[in-house]
Amino acid sequence: MHISYQLQHTSLEIDMTGFEKSAICPECEGRLRTIDTELICEECGLVVDTDAIDRGPEWRSFDGSSNRKRTGAPLTRSRHDRGLSTEIGYETSLRLTGRKRQQVARMRREHSRARFESKAARNQMAGFSEIRRIVARLSLPVWTTERSCVLFESAQNADLLRGRSIEGFAAATVYATCRTSAISRTIDEVVAVAHADEAELKAAYRALNRELEIQTGPIDPAEYLPRYASRLELARCVEHRASQYVADLRDAGLIDGKNPSGVAAACLYAAAMRVEESDPITQAAAAETGNVSPVTIRSTFETLRDLKCESH
Amino acid sequence: MDTALDRTIRRDISREYFSRERLAEHHYRSFNAFLTRGMQEVVDEKATIDTDIGDKEGEEPVHVELGDVRVVTPRVREADGSEELLYPQEARLRNITYSAPVFMEMSIVKGEEGDQRVVDSTETKIGRMPIMVGSEKCNIAGFTDQELIDIGEDPADPGGYFIVNGSERVLMTSEDLAPNKILAEYDTKYGDEIQVAKTFSQRRGYRALVLCERTRNGLLEVSFPSVSGSINFVTLVRALGLESDEEIVHKVSNDPEVVKYMLENLEEAEVQTEEEAIEALGKRVASGQGKNYQLKRANYVIDRYLLPHLHEDGVEEEDVRINKAHYLCRMAEACFELALQRREADDKDHYANKRLKVSGDLMKDLFRTALNKLARDVKYQLERANMRNRNLSVSTVVRSDVLTERLEHPIATGNWVGGRSGVSQLVDRTDFMGVLSHLRRLRSPLSRSQPHFEARDLHATQWGRICPSETPEGPNCGLVKNFAQAMELSQNVEDEQELKRELASMGVQGIPGLEGTTRTPADD
Repeated sequence: MHISYQLQHTSLEIDMTGFEKSAICPECEGRLRTIDTELICEECGLVVDTDAIDRGPEWRSFDGSSNRKRTGAPLTRSRHDRGLSTEIGYETSLRLTGRKRQQVARMRREHSRARFESKAARNQMAGFSEIRRIVARLSLPVWTTERSCVLFESAQNADLLRGRSIEGFAAATVYATCRTSAISRTIDEVVAVAHADEAELKAAYRALNRELEIQTGPIDPAEYLPRYASRLELARCVEHRASQYVADLRDAGLIDGKNPSGVAAACLYAAAMRVEESDPITQAAAAETGNVSPVTIRSTFETLRDLKCESH
Repeated sequence: MDTALDRTIRRDISREYFSRERLAEHHYRSFNAFLTRGMQEVVDEKATIDTDIGDKEGEEPVHVELGDVRVVTPRVREADGSEELLYPQEARLRNITYSAPVFMEMSIVKGEEGDQRVVDSTETKIGRMPIMVGSEKCNIAGFTDQELIDIGEDPADPGGYFIVNGSERVLMTSEDLAPNKILAEYDTKYGDEIQVAKTFSQRRGYRALVLCERTRNGLLEVSFPSVSGSINFVTLVRALGLESDEEIVHKVSNDPEVVKYMLENLEEAEVQTEEEAIEALGKRVASGQGKNYQLKRANYVIDRYLLPHLHEDGVEEEDVRINKAHYLCRMAEACFELALQRREADDKDHYANKRLKVSGDLMKDLFRTALNKLARDVKYQLERANMRNRNLSVSTVVRSDVLTERLEHPIATGNWVGGRSGVSQLVDRTDFMGVLSHLRRLRSPLSRSQPHFEARDLHATQWGRICPSETPEGPNCGLVKNFAQAMELSQNVEDEQELKRELASMGVQGIPGLEGTTRTPADD
């Protein structure tokens, strides 16, 4: 990470010193910047130079079909074989009959049995399919699958699965990925859609956290706000106000040791009350959304109120 | 005639036909029909998902019952978990798919027949369905021009396409040979001319070609899927329950010359009774197996693979078989009439013998295979969960990405189920006329590398339906066509039973018991 940044930095310097003339926009003399494969002007947006190589598909097909691609799908970490599996298909155009068909059917069966080289690979496939299922149920972005699968694989390599459940690890890797990517989900939300129960998830997550040193801090309550706001059908301005409240509480050091889900729900409750265009919500509704008790909502609300009084 | 007035009236009509609602109407009418009843029909066909749980000793069997299916309007789920309505322009700009969540009622049922109890029953999200812009589930449906402009939409845009990963894809209307119709034609076999009656029998996405041939020695033979080679006509008809010589002859025709041909066939008959016929069929479909299995297999093949379109819910199996026999007799009649030159061969290019598959029909095919895939996955998940002694609950056995992927991928690539490619195309946005022309284009499934001169020719029956001049030059000439301006596309009826009752009330006899007799020869 650090090295690549340095490289980029030096190349920019060469650009600035070595080709001083080309570093100015020919149209408006603005500064030029490289973004992805394009050299563009920061002032007027003119594209001065692009990558000369066309990395798109071929211009003509080589096998007579309309498909111009020469490769398949990219490799993926979310399959036990990196997505390079072969299957003996069912070609409808060439009709096989009698013994030949039976032979192909046997080959197909043996081939599917030989898909896994070891018990670990088989377990991995089970874990990955559970990860995919949880990610789809939670409507998480697709890249979470990839990251969760990588985490699952490292857990397997570190021999963490022994004596713990595969499904627990699948759920825990998804939970951990969400936490490290700042799109936290609560444990309850994950457990609700996972095969694993809460104890299994927690055991697996503890093991991951201890052995693999996942980079997580306390959860920022702000991560829960958009989701809770849309579940409570609150307007954008309410959500915005609530995120200010969260920031205020954080700055005053008043959220340490509190349930972030409860803080988020309480801030939304307070914001809905304060913003004039919005109808206030009940404490019960806020508490249910955050999966905490109304008492938690009240106590956080009071903390927030006291904080506001002090500052005035 | 007052030509000036005539012209203004003509212009008014023309303008009506060119209104925004009309130009892509066939697309959203078809897609709306798919959303309102097509999807539910597909789910009802499937009805249950059976599992292998319960095959072992001391285990209770488990199956899943499928209930009502429901689609909401398109919305987007952000990474932070919030959910909002999605409008087409946002989908285009953000390169996302304009699709709506699909929900289905599912109940997991445990226990033997008679002692069943529901373990879990919930309406769960099963995936996302791409939604056609301008259809009734589209978020811009019913918007005024000003509202459309406010959300960044072009008020003149006709809609009728999907947005998948930000690119607009239109499903090409395809022109297929009409299913469930008898087409009589000449063919050659070993250098001799023979007469063939063909039917593409189609029911619920299953398509079976049934052929009835009159060979050079005047004998009738029938071939259909799952039976290699062909079967003697008389044997098959007897297996279906038409036993006596007299019955068979009269069901075919009363024409003395045809009767003569028929008697030749009956003289050569291999079997005389229904039992013998089924035995003979059993020997063909399961040769070398035990006799009981042969009979079972023969009955299965008759009910499953022979003329499947004659099956109908609520009609006795017995009646269906007689209907099948009558239908085969009509095919035989067509062969003989062709042999006696009482009729001409049917014209495949006649527009009465064509059916158009529009977006809704194509989506129905897609949804059927996607649902089957989902069902297989649910079965697998259930069996796994059961093996590991987990609680069986609907929310933990449905993987919603399975259906989503199966629906989106074909629309994004054009590789449809059944091995057809190029079904979906990127909407031609060269100019506005390009869009209109593209949405009203239709494609013949015939190969463009072969001559097919007759298929490319302009046919008289295309008058008023297909534009006589708009077709590309080059290899696709005459295979890619465009709708005429005033073309009206009729849809299939919602309730066939009602149609039949109506026909019966108008004096048509023999419905539904004697369906075959109501059919006219296939050339209109």
